[in-house]
Amino acid sequence: MTVEHDIEAMDQFPVGMRVLAVDDDQTCLRILETLLHRCQYHVTTTDKAQTALELLRENKNKFDLVISDVDMPDMDGFKLLERVGLEMDSPVIMLSAHSDPKYVMKGVKHGACDYMLKPVRIEELKNIWQHVVRKSKFKKMKSIVTNGESEGNSDQNGVRANRKRKDQSEEEDEDEEEEEEQERGNEKKPRVIWTRELHNKFLAAVDHVGVKNAVPKKILELMNVDNLTRENVGSHLQKFRLALKKINNEANMAAANSHFTQMSSLKGLGSFHHYRPTPLGSSQFHGGAATMRHYPSNRTFAGMFPHFKSSLPRNHNDGGYMLQGKPFPSLETLHITNNNNNKAFPSFTSPQSSPLVASSNHLVLEGHQQSSFPSFSPHLEINKRLEDWSNAVYSNNIPQSNVHSKPDALEWNMDTTKTTSFCRDTDFGSSNAAQADFLDPFQMKQQHENILDPMTVAELSRSSSADEGLFMGQQKLENNFMASDAGSLDDIVNSMMTQV
Amino acid sequence: MDALVAQLQMQYRNYTVSLYQQGFLDDQFTELKKLQDDASPDFVAEVLSLFFEDCVKLIGNMARALDQTGTVDFSQVGASVHQLKGSSSSVGAKRVKGLCITFKEYCEANNYEGCVRCLQQVDIEFKALQTKLQDMFNLEKQIIQAGGKVPQVDIN
Repeated sequence: MTVEHDIEAMDQFPVGMRVLAVDDDQTCLRILETLLHRCQYHVTTTDKAQTALELLRENKNKFDLVISDVDMPDMDGFKLLERVGLEMDSPVIMLSAHSDPKYVMKGVKHGACDYMLKPVRIEELKNIWQHVVRKSKFKKMKSIVTNGESEGNSDQNGVRANRKRKDQSEEEDEDEEEEEEQERGNEKKPRVIWTRELHNKFLAAVDHVGVKNAVPKKILELMNVDNLTRENVGSHLQKFRLALKKINNEANMAAANSHFTQMSSLKGLGSFHHYRPTPLGSSQFHGGAATMRHYPSNRTFAGMFPHFKSSLPRNHNDGGYMLQGKPFPSLETLHITNNNNNKAFPSFTSPQSSPLVASSNHLVLEGHQQSSFPSFSPHLEINKRLEDWSNAVYSNNIPQSNVHSKPDALEWNMDTTKTTSFCRDTDFGSSNAAQADFLDPFQMKQQHENILDPMTVAELSRSSSADEGLFMGQQKLENNFMASDAGSLDDIVNSMMTQV
Repeated sequence: MDALVAQLQMQYRNYTVSLYQQGFLDDQFTELKKLQDDASPDFVAEVLSLFFEDCVKLIGNMARALDQTGTVDFSQVGASVHQLKGSSSSVGAKRVKGLCITFKEYCEANNYEGCVRCLQQVDIEFKALQTKLQDMFNLEKQIIQAGGKVPQVDIN
């Protein structure tokens, strides 16, 4: 998919969102289909879970969202949910006549984005697109991290890097979305849109002065763009830097160099050799604790850091999000498919997906195998990386909702302008990435993009309405524990549960 | 013809309202009607016929499960009841749905007599609903044939 096409598609979004509906009950299926059509989605239906899986496997990007019944004769809905999560990383919504919370819990544990009760109302379906957005934003952020270059600065705390990444993606998102989707955060002042051209100018300027010496003023002068303020440049630079650091951290976390080669082979980049293969501390990635879980369930990271996955040490399966040192599911269990959403990574499409998918546990390394990397022109790499970053960033305009950390917790309701439940269902998916440690550094007040740390989540769950609470509880859990598709992690889940 | 149309329309209105009042139908049915438009003029009828097909199938399953000599597999009965509950709630078949809830409880309690009773009742109810809806659809047809439009019935 070209970037332009993606952007175009995003313009219309959620109209035309492609939904796969699975329910063995023909009455319900027919009604669901009609309701979805009424919401202007593009609908495919099937009454067999097996068929659904085949359809999904046929083309991983064929559908944006899957809605599935829980009780089906040929396959348990939860199993389908797991499979989809592992293989396609699509958002899945569960549907059931069971209102029993334990089913809801099960749905959450297996990675469902949402759980709806029958009879489904059209109002609920009108908001389901948020899950698609959330997930792709998540993926986008991951891609930013993977795309970014590191400056060889391995001390950078993963939290800051994460924040930076989120900032970047948020800003990019915001910039992108502003025009398309009636910014969620209307209260924000008009933003500078960091288009590719603009970003390239920025990169050129940074390159010219050197990343380490880059100051907004100089960059601004070099860029010579009207209506660009030093502040705009400054914040963009900050994000840029954080992205680099983040990348660097992740790179450092990688046990092997494999992913570097992977990445470089993907992009044709030399390599991100500044990565030093220092063992990753749990602090490196934001949120050590919670985030891992959603990795498999969330499936976004899988898409985002395909290359990272394999190279990460045991406890950094998904782009280095640690789950408090708990053992991770083996990489096989993490779906490695690059993405469900090509939009996020225009640059990462085919070359990446096959190696990733093929060798589940180890990515084929093609180059630098040694742990110490030869240095190379940081500028060149940076530029390329950032190109990817910016590609990923603004090609994927989907707004993402992050939850503000504590103080801002309540703000979401105000932030999300158009989409009510959007804000409510804070972006647990994407925020998973930047979980626990993400508290204060991430003061980004991007519209709705806030990272919700576990405590905040808990608070929010408690404070919000029953429905919302349930949601958040679900979401939070999803974030905070390991993918339940790794069966052995159930006890982790349980232990995590106490957080809520 | 206008008088006839008007008369039919009034008949239709009254009949529909009575169905709601008697608990045959609920809000979900109203929602279904809203989904019917020029693009899918027979949507409600289609869905309802699918529903009735499902009823027949599920009732058959339940009967078979309950008809076993020896131990009855209540979970199997329960699964069918659950499905019927789902579809009846989706179409707005209020009475059927209510019965399913009771039925489910009997299943969970492994109460054979209770289940058998519920099964009989479900059978009666869905057939009654089928008849009623058929009458309603017939009225609609008559209105259209008489050159009128089927009125939107407001259920309060």
